[in-house]
Amino acid sequence: MSVNENDQDAPIARGSQLARALDDFAVPELPAGFADKVLVAAQARPAPLPELRRSGGGGARGWRLGRRIAIGAVGFGALATAAAATGLLERVGVPVPTPEKVWASITGKERVPPVVAAPAPAIKPPADPAPAALAPVRIEGAIDTPEELAEAFRRIDEVRQGRMEARRQLLDERIEREKERRRAAGLPVPTPEEEARLRQRIEEERTRREGLASQRIEARREELRERIESGEALTGEDIIRPLREDVRALERRERFERLRQMTPEQRREALRRLPPEQRRELMEAWRQRQQQRLRDGVPAAVDGPVPEAPPQDMPEVVSPSGIAPDESPR
Amino acid sequence: MTASGEPSPAAPAADDAALVARLAARDAVALREVIARYAGPLNRVAFRMTGDAHEAEDIVQEACLRLWDHAPRLAARHPAGTPAGGALRLSGWLARVVTNLAIDRLRQARRVSGEEVPERADEAPLADAMIEADQRDGTARALVLALPERQRAAIVLTYYEELPNAEAAAAMDMNIKAFESLLHRARAGLRQAFAAQGDAR
Repeated sequence: MSVNENDQDAPIARGSQLARALDDFAVPELPAGFADKVLVAAQARPAPLPELRRSGGGGARGWRLGRRIAIGAVGFGALATAAAATGLLERVGVPVPTPEKVWASITGKERVPPVVAAPAPAIKPPADPAPAALAPVRIEGAIDTPEELAEAFRRIDEVRQGRMEARRQLLDERIEREKERRRAAGLPVPTPEEEARLRQRIEEERTRREGLASQRIEARREELRERIESGEALTGEDIIRPLREDVRALERRERFERLRQMTPEQRREALRRLPPEQRRELMEAWRQRQQQRLRDGVPAAVDGPVPEAPPQDMPEVVSPSGIAPDESPR
Repeated sequence: MTASGEPSPAAPAADDAALVARLAARDAVALREVIARYAGPLNRVAFRMTGDAHEAEDIVQEACLRLWDHAPRLAARHPAGTPAGGALRLSGWLARVVTNLAIDRLRQARRVSGEEVPERADEAPLADAMIEADQRDGTARALVLALPERQRAAIVLTYYEELPNAEAAAAMDMNIKAFESLLHRARAGLRQAFAAQGDAR
Protein backbone atom coordinates (compact mmCIF):
# COMPACT_ATOMS: atom_id res chain seq x y z
CA MET A 1 0.00 0.00 0.00
CA SER A 2 1.38 3.32 -1.00
CA VAL A 3 1.88 6.22 1.29
CA ASN A 4 -0.86 8.04 -0.52
CA GLU A 5 -3.39 5.45 0.53
CA ASN A 6 -2.77 6.26 4.16
CA ASP A 7 -4.15 9.73 3.55
CA GLN A 8 -7.85 9.13 3.66
CA ASP A 9 -8.70 12.44 1.95
CA ALA A 10 -6.13 12.39 -0.85
CA PRO A 11 -7.07 11.44 -4.42
CA ILE A 12 -6.40 7.84 -5.31
CA ALA A 13 -2.96 7.86 -6.85
CA ARG A 14 -2.46 6.13 -10.18
CA GLY A 15 -0.26 3.13 -9.81
CA SER A 16 -1.11 2.55 -6.18
CA GLN A 17 -2.35 -0.86 -5.07
CA LEU A 18 -5.84 0.52 -4.63
CA ALA A 19 -5.74 2.09 -8.09
CA ARG A 20 -4.57 -1.15 -9.64
CA ALA A 21 -7.38 -3.00 -7.93
CA LEU A 22 -9.93 -0.46 -9.09
CA ASP A 23 -8.62 -0.51 -12.63
CA ASP A 24 -9.46 -4.19 -12.82
CA PHE A 25 -13.13 -3.24 -12.85
CA ALA A 26 -13.65 -3.91 -16.54
CA VAL A 27 -16.70 -2.73 -18.41
CA PRO A 28 -18.37 -4.83 -21.10
CA GLU A 29 -19.03 -3.11 -24.39
CA LEU A 30 -22.47 -2.14 -25.43
CA PRO A 31 -24.02 -4.63 -27.87
CA ALA A 32 -23.40 -3.98 -31.53
CA GLY A 33 -26.95 -3.14 -32.39
CA PHE A 34 -27.34 -0.69 -29.57
CA ALA A 35 -27.53 2.44 -31.71
CA ASP A 36 -30.14 0.93 -34.00
CA LYS A 37 -32.20 -0.14 -31.04
CA VAL A 38 -32.12 3.36 -29.62
CA LEU A 39 -33.04 4.90 -32.95
CA VAL A 40 -36.02 2.60 -33.31
CA ALA A 41 -37.12 3.44 -29.81
CA ALA A 42 -36.69 7.14 -30.52
CA GLN A 43 -38.81 6.95 -33.63
CA ALA A 44 -41.50 5.10 -31.71
CA ARG A 45 -41.34 7.66 -28.94
CA PRO A 46 -44.43 9.82 -28.71
CA ALA A 47 -43.89 13.43 -29.57
CA PRO A 48 -42.77 15.40 -26.55
CA LEU A 49 -45.28 17.63 -24.89
CA PRO A 50 -44.96 21.31 -25.72
CA GLU A 51 -42.78 23.16 -23.30
CA LEU A 52 -44.45 24.99 -20.50
CA ARG A 53 -43.99 28.66 -21.11
CA ARG A 54 -43.15 29.70 -17.63
CA SER A 55 -41.16 32.78 -18.37
CA GLY A 56 -41.31 35.40 -21.01
CA GLY A 57 -44.28 33.89 -22.72
CA GLY A 58 -47.06 36.40 -22.93
CA GLY A 59 -49.73 33.72 -23.04
CA ALA A 60 -48.86 32.05 -19.77
CA ARG A 61 -48.23 35.34 -18.12
CA GLY A 62 -51.47 36.67 -19.50
CA TRP A 63 -53.35 33.68 -18.19
CA ARG A 64 -51.80 34.00 -14.77
CA LEU A 65 -52.58 37.68 -14.73
CA GLY A 66 -56.11 37.03 -15.87
CA ARG A 67 -56.52 34.35 -13.26
CA ARG A 68 -55.32 36.67 -10.56
CA ILE A 69 -57.70 39.34 -11.72
CA ALA A 70 -60.53 36.81 -11.73
CA ILE A 71 -59.64 35.63 -8.23
CA GLY A 72 -59.38 39.21 -7.09
CA ALA A 73 -62.73 40.09 -8.59
CA VAL A 74 -64.41 37.10 -6.98
CA GLY A 75 -62.73 37.85 -3.67
CA PHE A 76 -63.73 41.46 -3.87
CA GLY A 77 -67.28 40.47 -4.63
CA ALA A 78 -67.34 38.14 -1.65
CA LEU A 79 -65.90 40.79 0.60
CA ALA A 80 -68.30 43.36 -0.73
CA THR A 81 -71.21 41.05 -0.07
CA ALA A 82 -69.97 40.45 3.44
CA ALA A 83 -69.48 44.14 3.91
CA ALA A 84 -73.03 44.74 2.80
CA ALA A 85 -74.12 42.96 5.92
CA THR A 86 -71.38 43.64 8.39
CA GLY A 87 -70.87 47.22 7.32
CA LEU A 88 -74.51 47.79 7.64
CA LEU A 89 -74.49 46.15 11.02
CA GLU A 90 -71.83 48.50 12.21
CA ARG A 91 -73.60 51.47 10.80
CA VAL A 92 -76.84 50.66 12.50
CA GLY A 93 -74.99 50.38 15.71
CA VAL A 94 -75.72 47.04 17.19
CA PRO A 95 -73.02 46.99 19.82
CA VAL A 96 -73.38 50.46 21.29
CA PRO A 97 -76.07 52.02 23.35
CA THR A 98 -77.60 54.55 21.03
CA PRO A 99 -77.68 54.99 17.28
CA GLU A 100 -76.12 58.42 17.60
CA LYS A 101 -73.22 57.04 19.51
CA VAL A 102 -72.82 54.19 17.11
CA TRP A 103 -72.57 56.68 14.35
CA ALA A 104 -70.11 58.78 16.27
CA SER A 105 -67.91 55.84 17.18
CA ILE A 106 -67.86 54.50 13.65
CA THR A 107 -67.30 57.76 11.86
CA GLY A 108 -64.85 58.89 14.49
CA LYS A 109 -66.53 62.23 14.80
CA GLU A 110 -66.02 63.71 18.16
CA ARG A 111 -69.35 63.94 19.78
CA VAL A 112 -69.35 65.12 23.31
CA PRO A 113 -72.25 63.67 25.18
CA PRO A 114 -74.40 66.35 26.60
CA VAL A 115 -73.61 67.11 30.14
CA VAL A 116 -76.35 65.99 32.39
CA ALA A 117 -77.41 69.28 33.68
CA ALA A 118 -81.04 68.58 33.56
CA PRO A 119 -82.89 68.35 36.78
CA ALA A 120 -83.30 65.02 38.38
CA PRO A 121 -86.02 62.97 36.79
CA ALA A 122 -87.76 62.44 40.01
CA ILE A 123 -88.28 66.08 40.74
CA LYS A 124 -89.08 67.34 37.30
CA PRO A 125 -92.72 67.33 36.34
CA PRO A 126 -93.42 65.25 33.28
CA ALA A 127 -93.45 67.19 30.05
CA ASP A 128 -96.15 65.02 28.68
CA PRO A 129 -99.40 65.83 30.40
CA ALA A 130 -100.97 62.51 29.58
CA PRO A 131 -98.81 60.37 31.83
CA ALA A 132 -99.21 62.91 34.56
CA ALA A 133 -102.94 62.69 34.26
CA LEU A 134 -102.74 58.95 34.58
CA ALA A 135 -100.44 59.20 37.53
CA PRO A 136 -102.03 61.12 40.32
CA VAL A 137 -99.01 60.79 42.55
CA ARG A 138 -97.18 64.09 42.67
CA ILE A 139 -93.56 64.32 43.50
CA GLU A 140 -92.68 67.28 45.56
CA GLY A 141 -89.22 67.82 46.87
CA ALA A 142 -87.21 64.80 47.83
CA ILE A 143 -88.50 61.35 47.10
CA ASP A 144 -89.22 59.75 50.42
CA THR A 145 -92.13 57.44 49.83
CA PRO A 146 -92.42 54.24 47.85
CA GLU A 147 -95.26 55.79 45.91
CA GLU A 148 -93.18 58.74 44.83
CA LEU A 149 -90.36 56.42 43.89
CA ALA A 150 -92.69 54.18 41.92
CA GLU A 151 -94.08 57.22 40.17
CA ALA A 152 -90.57 58.31 39.29
CA PHE A 153 -89.82 54.87 37.97
CA ARG A 154 -93.01 54.88 35.96
CA ARG A 155 -92.18 58.15 34.30
CA ILE A 156 -88.69 56.97 33.65
CA ASP A 157 -90.01 53.78 32.07
CA GLU A 158 -92.20 55.84 29.80
CA VAL A 159 -89.19 57.78 28.69
CA ARG A 160 -87.29 54.59 28.20
CA GLN A 161 -90.03 53.00 26.15
CA GLY A 162 -90.31 56.06 23.98
CA ARG A 163 -86.60 56.11 23.56
CA MET A 164 -86.47 52.47 22.53
CA GLU A 165 -89.20 53.10 19.99
CA ALA A 166 -87.32 56.09 18.67
CA ARG A 167 -84.29 53.90 18.36
CA ARG A 168 -86.15 51.39 16.27
CA GLN A 169 -87.33 54.14 13.96
CA LEU A 170 -83.83 55.51 13.70
CA LEU A 171 -82.59 52.06 12.93
CA ASP A 172 -85.08 51.63 10.12
CA GLU A 173 -84.22 55.01 8.72
CA ARG A 174 -80.54 54.28 8.90
CA ILE A 175 -80.90 50.95 7.16
CA GLU A 176 -82.88 52.59 4.38
CA ARG A 177 -80.36 55.41 4.08
CA GLU A 178 -77.52 52.93 3.95
CA LYS A 179 -79.23 50.93 1.24
CA GLU A 180 -79.80 54.09 -0.74
CA ARG A 181 -76.20 55.07 -0.30
CA ARG A 182 -75.05 51.69 -1.51
CA ARG A 183 -77.33 51.79 -4.50
CA ALA A 184 -76.06 55.24 -5.40
CA ALA A 185 -72.46 54.11 -4.99
CA GLY A 186 -73.02 50.97 -7.02
CA LEU A 187 -72.26 48.78 -4.03
CA PRO A 188 -74.03 45.47 -3.39
CA VAL A 189 -77.29 45.89 -1.56
CA PRO A 190 -78.50 43.14 0.73
CA THR A 191 -81.19 40.96 -0.71
CA PRO A 192 -84.51 40.85 1.17
CA GLU A 193 -83.39 37.59 2.74
CA GLU A 194 -80.10 39.08 3.83
CA GLU A 195 -81.85 42.13 5.18
CA ALA A 196 -84.26 39.96 7.10
CA ARG A 197 -81.37 38.06 8.63
CA LEU A 198 -79.67 41.32 9.43
CA ARG A 199 -82.74 42.70 11.13
CA GLN A 200 -83.17 39.51 13.04
CA ARG A 201 -79.63 39.71 14.29
CA ILE A 202 -80.14 43.31 15.30
CA GLU A 203 -83.35 42.45 17.07
CA GLU A 204 -81.72 39.57 18.91
CA GLU A 205 -78.86 41.78 19.96
CA ARG A 206 -81.22 44.51 21.07
CA THR A 207 -83.30 42.08 23.07
CA ARG A 208 -80.19 40.73 24.71
CA ARG A 209 -78.90 44.18 25.55
CA GLU A 210 -82.21 45.42 26.81
CA GLY A 211 -82.50 42.37 28.98
CA LEU A 212 -79.12 43.07 30.52
CA ALA A 213 -80.00 46.71 30.96
CA SER A 214 -83.27 45.79 32.63
CA GLN A 215 -81.47 43.56 35.09
CA ARG A 216 -79.07 46.33 35.92
CA ILE A 217 -81.84 48.87 36.27
CA GLU A 218 -83.83 46.60 38.48
CA ALA A 219 -80.85 45.98 40.74
CA ARG A 220 -80.31 49.70 41.15
CA ARG A 221 -83.98 50.33 41.72
CA GLU A 222 -83.99 47.72 44.40
CA GLU A 223 -81.22 49.57 46.15
CA LEU A 224 -83.22 52.79 45.93
CA ARG A 225 -86.34 51.06 47.26
CA GLU A 226 -84.40 49.74 50.22
CA ARG A 227 -83.09 53.20 50.95
CA ILE A 228 -86.63 54.60 50.86
CA GLU A 229 -87.88 51.81 53.09
CA SER A 230 -85.13 52.52 55.52
CA GLY A 231 -86.49 56.06 55.79
CA GLU A 232 -83.99 57.78 53.60
CA ALA A 233 -85.09 60.61 51.35
CA LEU A 234 -83.63 60.54 47.88
CA THR A 235 -82.61 63.72 46.20
CA GLY A 236 -82.02 64.35 42.58
CA GLU A 237 -78.31 64.02 43.23
CA ASP A 238 -78.77 60.45 44.42
CA ILE A 239 -80.08 59.61 41.01
CA ILE A 240 -77.95 61.98 39.03
CA ARG A 241 -74.62 60.85 40.53
CA PRO A 242 -74.67 57.38 39.08
CA LEU A 243 -75.97 58.97 35.95
CA ARG A 244 -72.88 61.12 35.73
CA GLU A 245 -70.69 58.14 36.46
CA ASP A 246 -72.35 56.42 33.59
CA VAL A 247 -71.73 59.41 31.36
CA ARG A 248 -68.03 59.21 32.12
CA ALA A 249 -68.05 55.47 31.61
CA LEU A 250 -69.78 55.98 28.30
CA GLU A 251 -67.22 58.57 27.24
CA ARG A 252 -64.41 56.19 28.13
CA ARG A 253 -66.09 53.39 26.36
CA GLU A 254 -66.57 55.41 23.23
CA ARG A 255 -62.96 56.44 23.34
CA PHE A 256 -61.91 52.85 23.84
CA GLU A 257 -63.99 51.86 20.87
CA ARG A 258 -62.52 54.52 18.65
CA LEU A 259 -59.01 53.61 19.74
CA ARG A 260 -59.68 49.97 19.16
CA GLN A 261 -60.64 50.65 15.57
CA MET A 262 -57.42 52.54 14.89
CA THR A 263 -54.19 51.09 13.67
CA PRO A 264 -51.45 50.86 16.33
CA GLU A 265 -49.77 53.94 14.88
CA GLN A 266 -52.97 55.96 14.81
CA ARG A 267 -53.70 54.78 18.33
CA ARG A 268 -50.36 55.92 19.66
CA GLU A 269 -50.81 59.28 17.94
CA ALA A 270 -54.33 59.69 19.30
CA LEU A 271 -53.14 58.93 22.81
CA ARG A 272 -50.28 61.35 22.41
CA ARG A 273 -52.63 64.13 21.38
CA LEU A 274 -54.90 63.70 24.36
CA PRO A 275 -54.47 66.17 27.19
CA PRO A 276 -52.23 64.62 29.84
CA GLU A 277 -54.98 64.33 32.41
CA GLN A 278 -57.31 62.61 29.97
CA ARG A 279 -54.55 60.31 28.88
CA ARG A 280 -53.80 59.43 32.49
CA GLU A 281 -57.47 58.88 33.17
CA LEU A 282 -57.80 56.67 30.13
CA MET A 283 -54.75 54.63 30.97
CA GLU A 284 -55.84 54.29 34.55
CA ALA A 285 -59.25 53.10 33.41
CA TRP A 286 -57.58 50.66 31.13
CA ARG A 287 -55.40 49.35 33.93
CA GLN A 288 -58.40 48.93 36.16
CA ARG A 289 -60.21 47.07 33.42
CA GLN A 290 -57.21 44.86 32.90
CA GLN A 291 -56.97 44.10 36.60
CA GLN A 292 -60.65 43.38 36.69
CA ARG A 293 -60.32 41.10 33.71
CA LEU A 294 -57.41 39.29 35.34
CA ARG A 295 -59.44 38.83 38.50
CA ASP A 296 -62.32 37.55 36.42
CA GLY A 297 -60.04 35.23 34.47
CA VAL A 298 -60.67 36.99 31.17
CA PRO A 299 -57.69 37.00 28.80
CA ALA A 300 -55.94 40.33 28.61
CA ALA A 301 -55.81 42.48 25.53
CA VAL A 302 -53.29 41.32 23.02
CA ASP A 303 -51.91 44.61 21.85
CA GLY A 304 -50.29 45.98 24.93
CA PRO A 305 -51.16 49.00 26.97
CA VAL A 306 -53.90 50.15 24.73
CA PRO A 307 -57.45 50.20 25.85
CA GLU A 308 -59.12 47.18 24.50
CA ALA A 309 -62.66 47.03 23.31
CA PRO A 310 -65.26 46.75 25.98
CA PRO A 311 -66.73 43.34 26.28
CA GLN A 312 -69.58 42.81 23.94
CA ASP A 313 -71.87 41.83 26.72
CA MET A 314 -71.44 45.11 28.52
CA PRO A 315 -74.90 46.20 29.44
CA GLU A 316 -76.37 49.32 28.08
CA VAL A 317 -75.24 52.37 29.95
CA VAL A 318 -78.17 53.50 31.92
CA SER A 319 -78.75 55.41 35.01
CA PRO A 320 -80.15 53.79 38.06
CA SER A 321 -83.36 55.25 36.99
CA GLY A 322 -83.20 53.54 33.65
CA ILE A 323 -82.51 56.58 31.51
CA ALA A 324 -79.52 56.79 29.25
CA PRO A 325 -77.11 59.50 30.28
CA ASP A 326 -77.57 61.56 27.18
CA GLU A 327 -81.23 61.98 27.66
CA SER A 328 -83.16 64.03 30.07
CA PRO A 329 -86.41 62.89 31.47
CA ARG A 330 -89.32 64.79 30.28
CA MET B 1 -7.87 8.91 -21.12
CA THR B 2 -9.80 7.16 -18.49
CA ALA B 3 -8.57 4.66 -16.01
CA SER B 4 -9.40 1.85 -18.36
CA GLY B 5 -7.53 3.43 -21.18
CA GLU B 6 -10.61 4.31 -23.14
CA PRO B 7 -11.10 7.66 -24.85
CA SER B 8 -12.27 10.36 -22.56
CA PRO B 9 -15.89 11.41 -22.93
CA ALA B 10 -14.76 15.02 -22.97
CA ALA B 11 -15.31 15.25 -26.68
CA PRO B 12 -15.19 18.61 -28.37
CA ALA B 13 -18.28 20.40 -27.23
CA ALA B 14 -18.24 23.31 -29.61
CA ASP B 15 -20.70 21.57 -31.88
CA ASP B 16 -22.92 20.22 -29.14
CA ALA B 17 -25.38 23.04 -29.72
CA ALA B 18 -25.51 22.28 -33.42
CA LEU B 19 -25.98 18.61 -32.65
CA VAL B 20 -28.84 19.40 -30.31
CA ALA B 21 -30.40 21.63 -32.93
CA ARG B 22 -30.36 18.73 -35.33
CA LEU B 23 -31.86 16.47 -32.68
CA ALA B 24 -34.57 19.04 -32.15
CA ALA B 25 -35.27 18.84 -35.86
CA ARG B 26 -35.67 15.10 -35.41
CA ASP B 27 -32.54 14.21 -37.27
CA ALA B 28 -31.93 10.49 -36.65
CA VAL B 29 -28.39 10.80 -37.93
CA ALA B 30 -27.69 13.30 -35.17
CA LEU B 31 -28.92 10.82 -32.62
CA ARG B 32 -26.64 8.20 -34.05
CA GLU B 33 -23.75 10.64 -33.73
CA VAL B 34 -24.63 11.27 -30.13
CA ILE B 35 -24.65 7.57 -29.43
CA ALA B 36 -21.34 7.07 -31.16
CA ARG B 37 -19.79 9.89 -29.19
CA TYR B 38 -21.23 9.44 -25.74
CA ALA B 39 -22.72 5.98 -25.30
CA GLY B 40 -19.40 4.36 -24.40
CA PRO B 41 -18.54 6.68 -21.53
CA LEU B 42 -22.13 6.61 -20.36
CA ASN B 43 -22.11 2.84 -20.38
CA ARG B 44 -18.98 2.81 -18.23
CA VAL B 45 -20.62 5.06 -15.66
CA ALA B 46 -23.83 3.07 -15.67
CA PHE B 47 -22.11 -0.28 -15.44
CA ARG B 48 -19.76 0.73 -12.65
CA MET B 49 -22.68 2.17 -10.81
CA THR B 50 -24.95 -0.84 -11.16
CA GLY B 51 -22.55 -3.72 -11.79
CA ASP B 52 -25.03 -5.02 -14.31
CA ALA B 53 -24.43 -4.85 -18.07
CA HIS B 54 -28.07 -5.19 -18.94
CA GLU B 55 -29.07 -2.52 -16.51
CA ALA B 56 -26.33 -0.27 -17.80
CA GLU B 57 -27.50 -0.69 -21.36
CA ASP B 58 -31.05 0.22 -20.36
CA ILE B 59 -29.83 3.29 -18.55
CA VAL B 60 -27.79 4.52 -21.48
CA GLN B 61 -30.66 3.96 -23.85
CA GLU B 62 -33.01 5.85 -21.56
CA ALA B 63 -30.54 8.73 -21.34
CA CYS B 64 -30.28 8.95 -25.09
CA LEU B 65 -34.03 8.92 -25.46
CA ARG B 66 -34.40 11.63 -22.86
CA LEU B 67 -31.98 13.72 -24.83
CA TRP B 68 -34.10 13.09 -27.88
CA ASP B 69 -37.17 14.23 -25.99
CA HIS B 70 -35.54 17.27 -24.45
CA ALA B 71 -33.68 18.35 -27.54
CA PRO B 72 -36.23 21.02 -28.59
CA ARG B 73 -36.07 22.60 -25.15
CA LEU B 74 -32.28 22.38 -25.00
CA ALA B 75 -31.99 23.84 -28.47
CA ALA B 76 -34.22 26.74 -27.50
CA ARG B 77 -32.12 27.49 -24.44
CA HIS B 78 -28.78 26.96 -26.14
CA PRO B 79 -29.08 28.18 -29.71
CA ALA B 80 -26.17 27.23 -31.89
CA GLY B 81 -23.72 30.03 -32.55
CA THR B 82 -24.51 31.90 -29.36
CA PRO B 83 -22.62 32.04 -26.08
CA ALA B 84 -25.39 29.98 -24.53
CA GLY B 85 -24.92 27.41 -27.23
CA GLY B 86 -21.19 27.41 -26.65
CA ALA B 87 -21.79 26.72 -22.97
CA LEU B 88 -23.78 23.58 -23.66
CA ARG B 89 -21.94 20.40 -22.70
CA LEU B 90 -23.84 17.33 -23.72
CA SER B 91 -21.40 15.11 -21.89
CA GLY B 92 -22.28 16.79 -18.61
CA TRP B 93 -25.99 16.75 -19.34
CA LEU B 94 -25.94 13.07 -20.22
CA ALA B 95 -23.66 12.17 -17.29
CA ARG B 96 -26.16 13.80 -14.94
CA VAL B 97 -29.03 11.86 -16.44
CA VAL B 98 -27.17 8.57 -16.31
CA THR B 99 -25.98 9.11 -12.74
CA ASN B 100 -29.45 9.96 -11.56
CA LEU B 101 -30.99 7.04 -13.40
CA ALA B 102 -28.42 4.66 -11.95
CA ILE B 103 -28.96 5.93 -8.41
CA ASP B 104 -32.72 5.69 -8.87
CA ARG B 105 -32.49 2.13 -10.08
CA LEU B 106 -30.15 1.10 -7.29
CA ARG B 107 -32.52 2.54 -4.74
CA GLN B 108 -35.45 0.88 -6.42
CA ALA B 109 -33.65 -2.48 -6.46
CA ARG B 110 -32.74 -2.08 -2.82
CA ARG B 111 -36.34 -1.36 -1.94
CA VAL B 112 -37.52 -4.39 -3.87
CA SER B 113 -34.85 -6.87 -2.82
CA GLY B 114 -33.83 -5.42 0.49
CA GLU B 115 -30.23 -5.90 -0.49
CA GLU B 116 -27.58 -3.25 -0.83
CA VAL B 117 -26.40 -4.26 -4.30
CA PRO B 118 -28.20 -6.27 -6.92
CA GLU B 119 -25.88 -9.10 -7.81
CA ARG B 120 -27.32 -10.56 -10.97
CA ALA B 121 -24.23 -11.36 -12.97
CA ASP B 122 -25.46 -14.85 -13.72
CA GLU B 123 -28.57 -13.52 -15.40
CA ALA B 124 -26.72 -11.14 -17.68
CA PRO B 125 -26.31 -12.03 -21.33
CA LEU B 126 -22.57 -11.67 -20.90
CA ALA B 127 -22.58 -14.05 -18.02
CA ASP B 128 -19.76 -16.17 -19.37
CA ALA B 129 -17.51 -13.20 -19.79
CA MET B 130 -18.47 -11.94 -16.43
CA ILE B 131 -17.66 -15.25 -14.82
CA GLU B 132 -14.30 -15.32 -16.51
CA ALA B 133 -13.57 -11.81 -15.40
CA ASP B 134 -14.76 -12.41 -11.91
CA GLN B 135 -11.44 -13.68 -10.75
CA ARG B 136 -9.75 -10.58 -12.11
CA ASP B 137 -12.14 -7.81 -11.34
CA GLY B 138 -13.96 -9.36 -8.43
CA THR B 139 -12.00 -7.33 -5.97
CA ALA B 140 -12.62 -4.06 -7.79
CA ARG B 141 -16.30 -4.75 -8.25
CA ALA B 142 -16.69 -5.67 -4.64
CA LEU B 143 -14.89 -2.52 -3.56
CA VAL B 144 -16.91 -0.16 -5.73
CA LEU B 145 -20.26 -1.82 -5.41
CA ALA B 146 -19.93 -1.97 -1.65
CA LEU B 147 -20.04 1.82 -1.48
CA PRO B 148 -23.33 3.59 -0.92
CA GLU B 149 -24.71 4.69 -4.27
CA ARG B 150 -23.86 8.37 -4.06
CA GLN B 151 -20.33 7.68 -2.84
CA ARG B 152 -20.04 5.15 -5.62
CA ALA B 153 -21.11 7.77 -8.15
CA ALA B 154 -18.51 10.17 -6.80
CA ILE B 155 -15.75 7.60 -7.27
CA VAL B 156 -16.97 6.54 -10.70
CA LEU B 157 -17.14 10.10 -11.98
CA THR B 158 -13.90 11.38 -10.53
CA TYR B 159 -11.65 8.31 -10.60
CA TYR B 160 -12.87 6.30 -13.55
CA GLU B 161 -14.20 9.12 -15.73
CA GLU B 162 -11.64 11.63 -14.46
CA LEU B 163 -14.14 14.43 -14.26
CA PRO B 164 -13.07 17.50 -12.34
CA ASN B 165 -14.82 17.81 -9.01
CA ALA B 166 -16.93 20.70 -10.25
CA GLU B 167 -18.24 18.74 -13.22
CA ALA B 168 -18.85 15.66 -11.12
CA ALA B 169 -20.71 17.78 -8.59
CA ALA B 170 -22.81 19.22 -11.41
CA ALA B 171 -23.53 15.72 -12.69
CA MET B 172 -24.82 14.84 -9.25
CA ASP B 173 -26.72 18.09 -8.75
CA MET B 174 -24.63 18.98 -5.75
CA ASN B 175 -22.70 22.02 -4.73
CA ILE B 176 -18.97 21.63 -4.77
CA LYS B 177 -18.52 21.66 -1.01
CA ALA B 178 -21.04 18.95 -0.45
CA PHE B 179 -19.58 16.92 -3.26
CA GLU B 180 -16.07 17.18 -1.88
CA SER B 181 -17.34 16.05 1.48
CA LEU B 182 -19.05 13.11 -0.20
CA LEU B 183 -15.93 12.29 -2.16
CA HIS B 184 -13.86 12.39 1.01
CA ARG B 185 -16.15 9.87 2.64
CA ALA B 186 -16.12 7.71 -0.49
CA ARG B 187 -12.35 7.61 -0.64
CA ALA B 188 -12.08 6.85 3.03
CA GLY B 189 -14.62 4.07 2.73
CA LEU B 190 -12.86 2.64 -0.28
CA ARG B 191 -9.50 2.63 1.46
CA GLN B 192 -10.90 1.01 4.55
CA ALA B 193 -12.61 -1.67 2.48
CA PHE B 194 -9.46 -2.26 0.49
CA ALA B 195 -7.42 -2.54 3.67
CA ALA B 196 -9.96 -4.98 5.07
CA GLN B 197 -9.72 -7.12 1.92
CA GLY B 198 -5.95 -7.16 2.26
CA ASP B 199 -6.21 -8.23 5.86
CA ALA B 200 -8.64 -10.96 4.88
CA ARG B 201 -6.26 -12.23 2.22
